[in-house]
Amino acid sequence: MLREIIGGCMIALGVAVFVTAVAGVYRFKYVLNRMHAASLGDTLGMLLVLGGLIVISGFTALSVKLLAIIVFSWLAGPVMSHLIARAEVMTHAHIEDECEVIERVDHI
Amino acid sequence: MSPILHHFLMGCCILLGVGVILSMIRAVRGPRFTDRIVAVNMISTMTIVIMCILSVFLDADFLVDVCITYALLGFIAIVVLTRLVIIRRRGQQERELAESGHTTGEDLETAEGGEQGC
Repeated sequence: MLREIIGGCMIALGVAVFVTAVAGVYRFKYVLNRMHAASLGDTLGMLLVLGGLIVISGFTALSVKLLAIIVFSWLAGPVMSHLIARAEVMTHAHIEDECEVIERVDHI
Repeated sequence: MSPILHHFLMGCCILLGVGVILSMIRAVRGPRFTDRIVAVNMISTMTIVIMCILSVFLDADFLVDVCITYALLGFIAIVVLTRLVIIRRRGQQERELAESGHTTGEDLETAEGGEQGC
């Protein structure tokens, strides 16, 4: 019973984080600002909701798989954000109007 | 599982479903292609979370395996999309550097046209 209460609270917090992320994506006006809100849901929202599910289900094969999803999401999220930001900066014609850009040569 | 938790998980799924629909609207309206990529990324995250909640809700373990596959596919899709755009843009820049006689106005036009294609 206590486990279900703790897990339910974590899931509620996680869903609140997702609602914040959607609101932020609508509220900000530029992609590089919107990415902040979007990656909020990727990391914290996923950790809270899946952590709550782990607490509810106890130590089973299911909870190990949920943990694997959390770890993968935390590793992949920054990589995706970095690539999206790089694509945005490289293709925007007037990026200097939006933010400061340091010109550099990279070989990735 | 107590009936309160049962209803609570169902409500969470509905709320996340509304979030998916709102992200879809953002993906359609987004002025640039990166807006769309960010919105699609959010849709994939929320779908994963909905499927994880469903796997506990229905007590069906196999749905978590589907979640893992979905997370991998979303990651690979975004990496491939952005890498294609970056490589294409880099080639464009190198061509501009090789020509180096043109002024920027014309090149910016082609860059904007390239974005639409992506």
